Amino acid sequence: MKIPFVRSAALFAAASLMLAACGGAAAPTAAPAKATDAPKPAATAAPAAGKPDKLTVLCTVTEDWCKVQTQAFEKATGIKTTFVRLSSGEAAAKLKATASNPEYSVWWGGPADGFVQAKGDGTIEPYKSPNAAKIPAQLKDADGWWTGVYIGALGICSNKAELAKIGMDVPTSWADLTNEKLKGKFSVAHPATSGTSYTMVWTQMTLNNFDEAKTFEYFKKLHANVLAYQKAGAAPAQIVGRGEAAVGVVFSHDCVAGIDSGFKDLVVSFPKEGTGYEIGAMALVKGGPEKEAAKMWIDWALTPAAQELGPSAKAYQLPTNPDAKVSEKSVKLADVKLVDYNFTKAGENRKALTAKYEETIAAQPK
Amino acid sequence: MLKRRAADPVFIFGFILSVAFVGIAILYPLGKMLSTVVSVEAIPYFERFLLRPTFQLIIARTVILGLVVGACGTLVGFVFAFFQARVAAPGWLKKMAHWMALIPVVSPPFAVAIAVIVLFGRSGMISYKLLNLRPNIYGLSGLTLVMTLSFFPAAYLNLLGLMRALDPSHEEASANLGASKLRTFMRVTLPMLAPGIASSFLLLFVEAIADLGNPITIGGDFDVLASRLFIAITGEYDLIAGAVLSVILLVPGLIVYLVQKYWADRASVVSVTGKPVGQHQPVRDWRVRVPILVFISFCTFLIALIYLTILFGAFTNLIGIDNSLTLKNFDYVLNGVGQDAFSDTTILASLATPIAGFLGMLIAFLVVRGKFVGRGALDFGTMLGLAVPGTIFGIGYLLAFNNPVTIAGITVLPKLTGGRAVFGGALAILLVYVIRSTPAALRSGVGALQQIDPAIEEASTSLGGDAFTTMRRVTLPLIRPAFLSGLIYAFSRSMTTISAVIFLTTPEIKIMTQQIYNETDTSRFGNAFAYVVVLISIVLVAIAILSLVVGTRTGAERERK
Repeated sequence: MKIPFVRSAALFAAASLMLAACGGAAAPTAAPAKATDAPKPAATAAPAAGKPDKLTVLCTVTEDWCKVQTQAFEKATGIKTTFVRLSSGEAAAKLKATASNPEYSVWWGGPADGFVQAKGDGTIEPYKSPNAAKIPAQLKDADGWWTGVYIGALGICSNKAELAKIGMDVPTSWADLTNEKLKGKFSVAHPATSGTSYTMVWTQMTLNNFDEAKTFEYFKKLHANVLAYQKAGAAPAQIVGRGEAAVGVVFSHDCVAGIDSGFKDLVVSFPKEGTGYEIGAMALVKGGPEKEAAKMWIDWALTPAAQELGPSAKAYQLPTNPDAKVSEKSVKLADVKLVDYNFTKAGENRKALTAKYEETIAAQPK
Repeated sequence: MLKRRAADPVFIFGFILSVAFVGIAILYPLGKMLSTVVSVEAIPYFERFLLRPTFQLIIARTVILGLVVGACGTLVGFVFAFFQARVAAPGWLKKMAHWMALIPVVSPPFAVAIAVIVLFGRSGMISYKLLNLRPNIYGLSGLTLVMTLSFFPAAYLNLLGLMRALDPSHEEASANLGASKLRTFMRVTLPMLAPGIASSFLLLFVEAIADLGNPITIGGDFDVLASRLFIAITGEYDLIAGAVLSVILLVPGLIVYLVQKYWADRASVVSVTGKPVGQHQPVRDWRVRVPILVFISFCTFLIALIYLTILFGAFTNLIGIDNSLTLKNFDYVLNGVGQDAFSDTTILASLATPIAGFLGMLIAFLVVRGKFVGRGALDFGTMLGLAVPGTIFGIGYLLAFNNPVTIAGITVLPKLTGGRAVFGGALAILLVYVIRSTPAALRSGVGALQQIDPAIEEASTSLGGDAFTTMRRVTLPLIRPAFLSGLIYAFSRSMTTISAVIFLTTPEIKIMTQQIYNETDTSRFGNAFAYVVVLISIVLVAIAILSLVVGTRTGAERERK
């Protein structure tokens, strides 16, 4: 990450525009490449080797979206595609544990921090997809270790009806979340397993100028309110939606998905101090059994068509390909104050911080 | 080693088979695990988990949870079994109570937990919408309720088999000698049931402390070792931390096992003599009947309510929020990953059940009737399969079988776990199913065999029957109900277990409980309920088939009919 990423919406918009322009200019050359995506390996790459016939995806978004995405890939390429859904922290841990004999060929989804950690673990390898040229530079690793496929902003997901019962307004700041009225009524995932939750940890680190002590002081207070730590980052939206908790921290699109699936009392807000965001990434698994198919997946996942599939599975993340249509339910980054989230630093510190969180926060009595 | 029956080749073959099974599938992974735990790298972990007050509290809570659930579950199971075997009541009520008690055994534990949240949670359909209460069920109270309801059927089945096999003549004798019914119950009936009560308590205790799903779902603040262990593995893939936590988890289970074994051996009373026996006098005293009927009705109603909620939830959009009917949950479950999970799990469990039932009875026979040195060790080794929390085997298998096992450069066993293992890792999962299920069959078998006078079998032997014939023609018919409960337990246990296999699933082999767990964790109850409904249906069908094939009565009872 040589280019410091957007602090303000204006910069982001400018970058997008600029890259959209580049994309536009490059369109004549990019388009044919895209069109020949599927037939190309069969036509030009050694016919003797044959076309890859199967692919195993390590998938770190919601199960619904994994399903839609793998089915679409299978339809587009004829490659039999299976997936296993794991949360981000689990996925990184699993890849590390099976590094000598990987089960998966491509890891798709989950915040880029996890991929930075995997790079450090030596479990992924770089691949510069031809289609990655379209993706804005700040949304991918310069050396191709990972490439962004979607963007999401961390938000507060509240249940209006529950808040009314305890006499609280919709929280609009990180400080609001430590309010005593929320004791046992706040839901969040465990940062060791969930990329969502680790994004929250690194957001606090950033807001506290990387002062670990201060950051963990905040989490100690927050911990007192936590109902229980979930494994998957999106889960709190459902728990809050059902009224078992009043407030949760999730990526805002997960809260929108909750509203969409019928939890009418849910409402999204963003902390005014500034919030973190994720670049949902993907990468080639080092030594994976189906390398060719995995590369085809990465090429395909960067196309506008592939990036527009999310909303059909209630996934309202922003696409990284500027040509992809944006759902009107997606977050408008221009309206949200974002922190200067350094994915490389976040990824490098991830293991230490999550272990510390488990030991000094999550395992502690309330 | 073999003394008396050394000449019998069937006996020797059975002996070798049992020892090989215990050695490879149980002791080897445990040994791997222990050698990891006693390594130098493990020392700081012990310091972290044993010396810090945080973890001491967590350990204390784990033991409390095990004791409370063990006691409550055994009590409920006992009352259900007593009601079934001894209390005068309308036949339909008995049948209903029986089937209601079986349902939890055939459903994954977190099914009950999420239904309880839907019904009795902060915004529960009964607690809040009906009664306008906002109880906090997240913690020990919720865990006790959910785990008792989930696990008591094991105690029920175990005790029911024993109660049915008890010879009523002792009780009659006691009554004839002038003892009151209460005194007869306390001094005659209970001691005869002691082994069953003790083994039930052990089963439930170990289940409770090793359960991963419920503490994560409904545990709230009440943190236990299993949930920390789960985070250590899934979040950090720290196998050493996992191994150390597992061993700490192992200690209470072993202590309870040793205590129950010591106690049950001393309390064992032979009662089935094979001589013609009468019927038990059903209890008609209203002072006993009324409380039992009320208790049974309440429990039966609660279970019915929970499972109707699951059924209803499977067909609704968002149960409790938007109760409009839909089939989308089933569409999701049956047309997605669920499909593979259903077939994989059913096939593996169907394979594991007869193997576990057979091994359990074989080892029970060897242990009770064999006269060789090391019988106790064989029993102990087999029981480790259950007494040791499932997570230990999950981790132990990863440590032991993630690479081919070689002796002097020759591959003895191929890679069994993880990606690209033989049969996509299915063999490891099958083995885990078998080792987890065999102990239940073994205990049922031992419990039943100890009640049978060896003279009956000796009669068969002296008439020229070999060990196999005696087993098939004499012993098996006598212990048929126990054998059946062993088989039922084995199948449903395999279908519903999670802690042992959650670390062993591979991209090729999908396990249903893992899928349900995913849906539960992401809190998508509709999908989870739909999974549970399909899973329960599969298991109920299997039980019906098993009951038809094996039969529910002993040979003696059949004769009498």
